[in-house]
Amino acid sequence: MQKQPIIQIKNLKKQIGKTTIIHGISLDLYPGEVFGFLGPNGAGKTTTIRMMVGLMNITEGEVLINGYSVEKNFEKAIAYVGGIIENPEMYKYLTGYDNLIHYSRMIPKIKIERIEEIVKLVGLEKRIHEKVKTYSLGMRQRLGLAQALLHSPSVLILDEPTNGLDPAGIREIRTYIRKLAVEENITVFVSSHLLSEMQLMCDRIGIIHHGKLISVETVKNMLEDNQHLSVNFTVSPLKEALSYVKKTNPKIKAEIIDHRLIIYTSEDQITTFAKLFVNNGFSLTGIHGEQKSLEEKFIQITGGDLHV
Amino acid sequence: MFNMFRLVQNENMKIYKRLGTWIMIGLILMIVIFAGGITKYLLAENVNLNWEEQVQIENAQLLEQIEEYENMPMVGSSAIQPLKEDVMINNYRLENDIPPVENETLWGFMLSSPDFTALASVFVIVISAGIVATEFSTGTIKLLLIRPVKRSKILISKYIATLIFAIIMLLTIFVSSLIVGSMLFGFDGINLPYLVYSGGEVIERNMLVQIITFYGLNSIDMIMMVTFAFMISSVFRSSSLAIGLSLFLMFTGQQLVMVLSDYNWAKYILFANTNLYQYVAGTPIIEGMTLAFSIIILSVYFFLFILISWFTFNKRDVAA
Repeated sequence: MQKQPIIQIKNLKKQIGKTTIIHGISLDLYPGEVFGFLGPNGAGKTTTIRMMVGLMNITEGEVLINGYSVEKNFEKAIAYVGGIIENPEMYKYLTGYDNLIHYSRMIPKIKIERIEEIVKLVGLEKRIHEKVKTYSLGMRQRLGLAQALLHSPSVLILDEPTNGLDPAGIREIRTYIRKLAVEENITVFVSSHLLSEMQLMCDRIGIIHHGKLISVETVKNMLEDNQHLSVNFTVSPLKEALSYVKKTNPKIKAEIIDHRLIIYTSEDQITTFAKLFVNNGFSLTGIHGEQKSLEEKFIQITGGDLHV
Repeated sequence: MFNMFRLVQNENMKIYKRLGTWIMIGLILMIVIFAGGITKYLLAENVNLNWEEQVQIENAQLLEQIEEYENMPMVGSSAIQPLKEDVMINNYRLENDIPPVENETLWGFMLSSPDFTALASVFVIVISAGIVATEFSTGTIKLLLIRPVKRSKILISKYIATLIFAIIMLLTIFVSSLIVGSMLFGFDGINLPYLVYSGGEVIERNMLVQIITFYGLNSIDMIMMVTFAFMISSVFRSSSLAIGLSLFLMFTGQQLVMVLSDYNWAKYILFANTNLYQYVAGTPIIEGMTLAFSIIILSVYFFLFILISWFTFNKRDVAA
């Protein structure tokens, strides 16, 4: 993407006491993209998001939103941001409408019609004058979106937006997020610990683990990568086979797992490797190809401590 | 400034759209009406004597007591002085034909009404203790702070809203006492002045001005405790702790100072200074204290409370 980034995260660090929670995250986000921030619980997603919106102090590094530093120029930077941080906790004893009035009073130059408009947009017209405590979780989530979009932000930051929603609610949010990105050119930064969900709505996914951003890839690339197989060759002698493969194909990733040689490759290469083993005097007793899902890849990256 | 007005509007909305707030205001009204009824129907004295005779009897009792005290070396002049002042005021009444204010009159009732501010203080402390802490406990603080408004502005708007609530409480007491008092007791003795002893002589003061002054003096105590609760609420994000601690100190603070009144440093304790009545009538709780001294001490505490609230609220990591 050649566009100017709307959010720039530069070597962001967070230290609480002597413990470093976030170890220098750097990331650029571009207008109109949906970025998935993926990681197991406790990886540092929420802490990173809270630093991005100024709820937590930044120990080192900086976050720029449309060029304004969240730390030094908070009011200007945050004016471009709408967000839901964890659950959309609104004032339950106020009506949905009063809640929106409340947030609109904190934005300079907002027209009252904008509230009506946003209520219609999230489909809460019928219940907006009822108290929030009577709302279902799905409705609260929609009201949460309404407050986040009230001031027509350029960036929408959503921390675990589908937590606790039923499948229909999740689909609704997902469709909505895509629509915002495509139609309004809003950058959406969404965190989750569910890969399957991210895969469906994001353009790019960054994986955070133990406070480090360990991979950033486009979903397209990840899916293409998924075309690759892990092929199990039951071959002996094993070690010699591995070193032979590595010698002849330096670029190929291969390893020994459970007394089998695993080669990460594509379908059309299976015959080539089989020939290679047979022609060079190895005994080959079995070939088994396995497709690796994104989920597995993610679990592999995060070391398996993923709570789904 | 426009921005600040809207922020205060928000805080007001959050205070007055809660049922609890109106229950508090309703309770205050009920107490005033109840107190009016008690004064009129239960405490009404059967007076056989005219006021001159009563004042003379009171004076005789006072003089007897003064003599008794003067023979006891344990009792200091600070205990005798108020009695002497009462005698002088009573003498002034007899000389100038100014009857004392009876309890069952409008002024009598109004003069006792500032006592209700203690109850109002409790309610204002409840609001003050919750105004920051509740945002944290319900998680609404997160959505509140990700707006293009500085944290300090939000804090100030909350403090202003608390003060507005305090003023509304005081006005509720004042106006309801005025209405209940005039309905129950009529307007007898409306022209009576308020007598005070000041600088060796007895002087007459306008009754209404005096009553408002009493409200003002009581509100100092209220504002200090409310600010204290506000600070505890901002620092510990716990409204129950803020309410508990503030009420405990409000009710025990004066006693604490009494116990420590032999020590000179006790005059630096907040509660030695919150009761400014001591300079209007009577003598200071600790010798050597002046009105100016108390005002300085109160200001120092006030700014300390505000500064601590401001600092913690601005610097805090919101992890709720």
